[in-house]
Formats: sequence, C-alpha cells, structure tokens
Amino acid sequence: MSSRSGSAGEYETSDQSPSCSASPPVPESSETEAEGLIFYHMDLYGSKERFDIFPEDLSGQGDRSWGDTRREPALSSQKFQRSQEAGYDLEKEVAELAKMYGLDEDREKELELLGGHVENRWPPARTGKAKSQGSIYNASKSISPVKDQSQSTKPQGLPDEASQDEEPSKARAEDEAESCIQSREGLSSGGMSDEWNSQAVSEEEEVADVFCSTCKIPIRAFDKLFGEHKDHEVAQLPSAMESEKEEIHKNMCKLEEQIAQMENFACHLEEIFITVEENFGRQEQNFEVHYNNAVQVLAQKYEEQLEALGEEKRQKLEALYGQLVSCGEHLDTCKELTDATQELYLENDKANFMKAAVAMVDRLEEFLKKEVDLELSMLPDFEKRVIDFSEVEQLMNSINTIPAPCAPVINPQAPNAATGTSLRVCWGLFSDDTVESYQLCYKPVSNETHSDEQAEHTLKVKETYCTITNLLPNTQYEFWVSALNAAGISPPSERAVYVTAPSPPTIKSKKIRSCENAALVCWESRDVNPVDSYTVELSKLTDEEDGDSITESIVGIPNCEVIIHLQPAQSYRICVRALNLGGSSERSDPVLIHTTGTYFCLNEDTAHPLLAILGDGFTIACDELENPECDLPVYDNSFTRCIGILGSLIPFPGKHYWEVEVEEDTEYRIGVAFENTPRHGYLGANNSSWCMRHIITPSRHKYEFLHSGMTPDIRITIPPRRLGVLLDYENCRLSFFNADIAQHLYAFNARFQHYVHPCFALETPGILRIHTGLAVPPWTALP
Amino acid sequence: MALKQVSSNKCFEGFQKVFEHDSAELKCKMKFGIYLPPKAETGKCPVLYWLSGLTCTEQNFITKAGFHQAAAEHGLIVVAPDTSPRGCNIEGEDESWDFGTGAGFYVDATEDPWKTNYRMYSYIKDELPKLINANFPTDPERMSIFGHSMGGHGALILALKNPGKYKSVSAFAPICNPIQCQWGKKALGGYLGSDVSKWEAYDATQLVKSCPDSHLDILIDQGKDDQFLSAGQLLPDNFIAACTERKIPVVFRLQQGYDHSYFFIATFINDHIKHHAKYLNA
Repeated sequence: MSSRSGSAGEYETSDQSPSCSASPPVPESSETEAEGLIFYHMDLYGSKERFDIFPEDLSGQGDRSWGDTRREPALSSQKFQRSQEAGYDLEKEVAELAKMYGLDEDREKELELLGGHVENRWPPARTGKAKSQGSIYNASKSISPVKDQSQSTKPQGLPDEASQDEEPSKARAEDEAESCIQSREGLSSGGMSDEWNSQAVSEEEEVADVFCSTCKIPIRAFDKLFGEHKDHEVAQLPSAMESEKEEIHKNMCKLEEQIAQMENFACHLEEIFITVEENFGRQEQNFEVHYNNAVQVLAQKYEEQLEALGEEKRQKLEALYGQLVSCGEHLDTCKELTDATQELYLENDKANFMKAAVAMVDRLEEFLKKEVDLELSMLPDFEKRVIDFSEVEQLMNSINTIPAPCAPVINPQAPNAATGTSLRVCWGLFSDDTVESYQLCYKPVSNETHSDEQAEHTLKVKETYCTITNLLPNTQYEFWVSALNAAGISPPSERAVYVTAPSPPTIKSKKIRSCENAALVCWESRDVNPVDSYTVELSKLTDEEDGDSITESIVGIPNCEVIIHLQPAQSYRICVRALNLGGSSERSDPVLIHTTGTYFCLNEDTAHPLLAILGDGFTIACDELENPECDLPVYDNSFTRCIGILGSLIPFPGKHYWEVEVEEDTEYRIGVAFENTPRHGYLGANNSSWCMRHIITPSRHKYEFLHSGMTPDIRITIPPRRLGVLLDYENCRLSFFNADIAQHLYAFNARFQHYVHPCFALETPGILRIHTGLAVPPWTALP
Repeated sequence: MALKQVSSNKCFEGFQKVFEHDSAELKCKMKFGIYLPPKAETGKCPVLYWLSGLTCTEQNFITKAGFHQAAAEHGLIVVAPDTSPRGCNIEGEDESWDFGTGAGFYVDATEDPWKTNYRMYSYIKDELPKLINANFPTDPERMSIFGHSMGGHGALILALKNPGKYKSVSAFAPICNPIQCQWGKKALGGYLGSDVSKWEAYDATQLVKSCPDSHLDILIDQGKDDQFLSAGQLLPDNFIAACTERKIPVVFRLQQGYDHSYFFIATFINDHIKHHAKYLNA
C-alpha cells in the first residue's frame, strides 16, 4: 500500500485496499464521512493556522494544474460547517470502520515500511503532486490512515462512474475536489515545518496505547482525549494487557479446576457404574431364584389340578358308558321281546299260540315290571375346583423380602456429637439389607468387670442415628447396634466408644488477677476425669450491651489458668469451656474483668489467724492482738507472727497501682513480698519483702520503709489516710504515695527477680481497706 | 535591664550560661547562672530557681551540683543567682562569712547601711523573674524554687510567703528556724534590727505556723552527719513539727552519713529535680 508509482491512477488504490470490496457502497454518507474526516484531522493538528496559511500555500503553488483549486476555500468552509455537525458521529464511524477493516494495522505495517523516510519523502510527494493527482493522493493517503478510510469509501463512485457515463466529469470533478483537499492537506503539511511533519508522523505512528474498558478495544491515547472514547474509562495498554492476562490466567485456572472436577466426577461415575452393575446383577439373581421357584410351584399345581380334572372326567365317562351299555342291553331285550311277540302273532296254531302266548305274557310282564332307569347317572359339567394361589402368592411376596440383615457398622464419634449429657450416635449398613428398625445398646465404659450388667440400656430406633440423653458428663460410653426386620435380627455391630462433653468449668473468681493490659484467669474442672484442653472466650463489653459477640477465643489451653492480653480501660466478659474428644462443654458462668487498673484478691490461706477478711474481700481487720482462749486454725501457708496476709501474685510486667485506706492511728505494714517470704517473720524484716511501716511513738507518727530490716530516716508531716502503692516491675521500683495529696513518700529501688505479691499487715487492732482496679494516677510518673 | 553574657558552655545538649546585669533592686552588678535545656530551643520551659547557701556565688551550684542532666531531661530552665549584692562598699560587708557579702539571707534589709542594697528577697521574688521571663523562653506561670542551707531557708520563705507563686519547693539542709539559730540571729538582727517580731516574717517555721493552708509539697533532704545540724543552725525538727501541726505536707529525709557539702547535694539533686518536674510539667 505504499505510495509507489502514483501514476496508476487514483482508483488503483481500490484494488490495494482489501476492504473495498467489502465496503458497502453508501454514497452519501461516505462522502460526508470523508470530508468530515479530513477536516477532523486538520482540526486536530491545529488546523486553524494551517487553514489560514492554506490559501497562501496554494498561491505559492502556482504550478497547480487543476482549476478546481479556487473552489477550495468555499468548499472547505462548507465542509467546515458540515464537519462540525457530523464530526463526532463520523469520527466514531470511521474509527469503527478502520477497526473493522484492520486498517490501523495495515497502516502500521506501512509506516514501518516507510520508516524514517516519511519525512524525506515529502518533497518528492509534493513535486510528484504536480505531475499527478494520483500520486499526491497516494502520498497523502499513505500518511493518514483515516484518509485511507475515506479513500476506501471512494470506490463506490467507480460503478457509478462506469454506469453513469453522462456524468463522469461531475463525479470526477467532485473527486478531484476532494483529492485536492486531501492533497492540500498533504501539501500544507509538506509546506509546514519538519516539526509538524514529525508530529504528524509520530501521530500516525502512534499505535494504540491505551485500552478502552468500556468498548473493550485498544485505542490511541488521543482518542481518549478527543475521540468517541472521551467519556470512557481507559487503562494503560500494558496494564490493561496485564489485567487481561490475569483474567485469562484466572479462567485457565478455572478451566483446570473444572477439568479436575470432571475427572473426579468421571471416576465417581465409573464407580457408580460398577456398583449399579453389581447391585442389579444381585437383584437379577434374586429375582431369578424367586421367580423360578414360583414357576415351579405353579407348574406343580397345574399338574396336580390337571390330574385331578382327568380323573374326574374318566370317572364320569366310565359311569356314562356303563349306563349306555345297560341301556343298550335293555334295548336289545326289548327288541327281542318284540320280535318274539310278533312271531307269536304269526303263529296259526292256536294251541301253540296259546301256549306260547302265556309264556310270552309272563315274560313281558316280568320284563315290564323292571323299571327303566332313564336318569343320567353323571352330569356333564365338572366339579367346581378352587385354584389355590396362596402358596404362589407367598412365593411372590418372598421375592421382596430379604433374610435377616447383616450387622450394621457403627460410626466413630463425630465432632460436636456430644454435649455434657447427651451423645448423638450414628451407624450405617454395609449391605443393602432392608431394615425395619435398629436396636441400640450402650453402657458406660468401666474398669470394673462386675458392673457390666447393671447399666446396660437398649433402645429401639428407626433411624440410623440416635441422640441419647441423661448421660454423665465427660464419661465414656460403649455403643453397639443391631438391625432388625421381619426376618429377624442381625448380629451386633462392633462396639464403639463415645465420650460425653465435659461439664463447664468453674472460674475461680477469687484467683483472678488483671491489670490494664492483661488478665490471669483460673478455673477448675467440675469433672472427675481429665479433659483435653480448655477454651477461653472473651467478649469486649460495649455501651450497647452487646456483649454476646465473642471477640476472641483462646484455644488449646492445657492447664486451668491462662494469661490473656487485653486492651486498657475496657470491660470484658470471660467464659471458659472444657474440651475433650466429644466436644466442648457449655460456657462456664462468666466473669467480668475491667482493665482500668490492677486487680488482685487476697490469699486467705496466708492470713494470720487473728486477721479477718471482711465481707467485700478487700477489707482486713484485726480485733485483738492476742487470743489466749483457743488456738485458732493455722494453715500451712499462713503468717504466724506478723498479723498479715498476701494478695495474689501480680504476674504481669509493667506498672501496678493500688491504694490502702488506713486510719490515722492504725499501725500497719504495707508493701510487696515474694511468695516464699518467711511466714514466721515480719514483713520488711527480710530480703524477700519490702514494706512501708507506720508506728506511733509517744512523740509522733513514725514511718519506716523496710527491707531486710533497714529503713531510711524519713519524716512525713501528714499521716497518709490513703496510701498509694506503685509497683513498677520494669523500672524496678516500689513507690509509696500519700494518694490524697499526690505526695511521693518513698521509693524502693529493688530488682525483683520474681513477680511479687502485695502484702498487708496490722500491728495494732484496726482495719485496712484495699482498693484495686485503679488506674495508675498520672502524678506517680515522677516522684 | 541589659544582660551581658559572661560565659556559655554547652552542657547535655543545652547551655549553661552566666549573665551579668545591673540590678535596680540591689543597686549593683549581679551575676546569675542559667541553664537552658535543649527543649528551650523549641518551646517555653518552666523555670526552677536555685538559692545557694552562705558564702556561695552563682558558680557553686552550676559547677558542683550536677543537676544538668536531670534538668535537660525534664526540660527545666534552672536559674542560680548570687547570694548577695557585691561590691557595694558597705562598711563591714566583707568582715565575716556569715553576714554581708555572700550572706544576703534572702531578706529585704531595713537597717542602715544595708537597706539600700541588701534586698535579696525582692530581687529573687520580683526583679530576677521579670528579667528572666523577659530574656529567655520561659513559661512565667510555671516556676519553682529550691535551695541549700541559707538558700533552703530562702526557698522556703519565698514559697511560704507567696502562695501560688511557686508550684513546688524543696530544700537541702535548710535553715529552718533562723530566729532560733546563731546564723539567723546574726543576720536577721543585722538586716532587720533588734525587733524579733520583724524576723518572724523571714522564718520558715514561724511562717508555717501563721500561713494559710498551703498545698505545697515540700521535700527536704538533710544529711545526718551535717555539722550544722548538730550545731543547731538548721533546726529542721522545729519546722517539721510546725508542718505536722499545720498539716503542711513535708517529706523530710534524714540521709545517713551525709554532711552539708555539695557532695550531699549532688547525691540527691535528681530527686529534687524530679520533684519539681512533677509539678512544673504536670
């Protein structure tokens, strides 16, 4: 399609363009299209200027050989208007056509061929133009793919021209005018600077570089800006290609999946095929046996009936024959008598006659005396016989019944088949036996051999499953099952051991500890048998009282305690479930945990016998220092000398703060201690405890900050009523504050090797009120 | 009130500087040390005033106490003024170490010849803060005061006499009851005359007894082996007894083995800086 040897004439291109033959001849529109198209391109290239310089260009080209030239301004202005109206639609149409005919592609190739020579080619094209319209036409055509389009539409004029020879000049004139414009464009382009040329060329060269998502076609970027795709969504071509590839890849994967699925399905079908064969073969045999039996029985019955019928017939015939014979004899005798009587009539001899006649009369009399039996001894019809099909019926029925079923197969315990008091047991049949019901037996698994009989239960079940209730939690039960039908009972299945879910554990609320970031939850199992693990469920309580949504579950906890990490200043509802093979228990009773501050309880078993914990669990009191009357019970773990008590261990790193309300005249020791601090000693008197001590001397309140029996000499002018204790594991500090006035009293710098317990002791009768769950006050940050 | 920089040394990313200025209150040239923490380069900082003890200049504290790191960490400007007017050519001002030069006692003298120059109370209370706030990136609303010995006395009386002016107060081995001790009797008698009732206005223990309810959190460290403690110059027990009676919160720490020196101060300076930072940065 290059613009070689332009002299071949302007319609030569019609042969070159494969699209021409396919192009529907739409005379009117194609004309407009071409015009609009041209103008569109001019517009695009900043045609305004070119339009202005165009006449100059023309005038400069004084060697123009056709006279239509002067028509151009008018023509083009006319076209200008028309193109403005039609521009948009035309663009679209042209683009579509171009796409349809792959012109863009051709153009690309062509441009490749032209390569860098395009610019160089312009001057010859210009000079060539003077010689031949066609060559100009070709040249211009070779530059603009859209003109190519206009060109391709032009051949519609060819048959017109051929048939309407009377108007060739007009057609030619029009065509010429058009080609003039086209060439003008070519010219003007040629006349313009190289810059424009290169622009134009690069414009032509510009292949589709974006992808219109709306039309699903690659387009050129400027189409997005100006063209029909203006409002369409576009993507960069590479990325569009990527996404398209991805899409294809996805589809490939889907296909592969489907193939795999179908293969599986085919396998499955084959199996089913075989099973069907087998099943039907078995049933055929079954039918054969049964129907043969039935046929035999029928044949036998038939024989029997036939025989009986034959016998009856024979007897009847015999009887009738006998009657016939006797009847004949009688007839003979009658005939003989008649003959003898007639002979007698013929006897002339009277004497003889008389002699004979008497004898004859006697004989006749005697004969006639005998009654002639004319009754039929036998009826012609046969005896009514009932054809008995009952046996056959039974046989026929027996075709559908199968002998006693085979032993069912009991399933192993399925997950979530158990609750604390119930089990759902499932079983199945290995064969196709017809079963009317099942007999399910169970008993608890027990090591005692004697107890076998006592607890065995039997149930009749229609289905192949059964939920047994009223069982003991976390207990193993043995199950076995037999199938029954009219024909009998199957042997029992194997025994399967199921286990009920555990009872919900009980959270030991007295052992719960928490702080801003964590909680330690302890619980105990309510079952004798051990369980596999525990699950802790926590739900954060919001203002909406929508606390049922589990926000977190911690599973697989082997022990009866766990540290949960929480968010500060929240409230949590915490439940525990126990798990075994059978499933999980119900939720335990929930506990509420507030992460406003550190919370702990008092270890009652460490309390000195004279120390009482009052109702709320956080107030300790001592009424008298001696109790001479009786020996109070002493736990192994309790303080024996110091009237003290330990709080539970604070097992979380970080800062922990609590307060103790004290009376001004109460003597106390308040601080922290290791678990193993000596119970027979005083708090602060050893290296395993740190405490602030308040004593009243005759002259003043005295405050000691004791560790290993040592205290700094510190005077405090205001006896604290509310003592703040800040335990800071990270910074190895234990600080005391007068919480009412935010006054820092003292800080131990102590390297705690282990976690510590809060500790409290009274040295005179009095009361200490412990306040936990308090946020760390900001004024504790610095002394 | 032009400031003249005498020295500037970088210290813990901030600067320890010394300035000199003409004091209107004291009618002489005065020096003061000021530590500007790194935070002062970007924002306003609270000011902590340090009052030194007898014989000291602005140099003792800034060279010996080792407060810079804590001050830098907590973003506190620390101002350490001199302890008395200097070079006023008053007869007898250099005669003894515990009266006159280096022993201003943080009072406004009423007796001749001292009353013109020896107005350390007003200098510390008004002139110096005004000067500091005018020339440095301070937050005038946040200031505290502490001191040592005579300076401890000065810190206590300034805090007690001006409720609300200082966010907190602390002292190292302060002269708690000057009207009862030799130093105090000499100085107060010299500066204020023989009327003992006038002295009470500059006696921390007496001020506690008469002061309105104070919410000041007072921290006092006292070396147990302080020779002036045993000599009865400091008398903290009287002050504590008064505070106990008046419910003024004091934590008084008698530090085993420490004396009256700057070694003692350096040991506990961090506690005091933190004590002030707690209230200044609250």
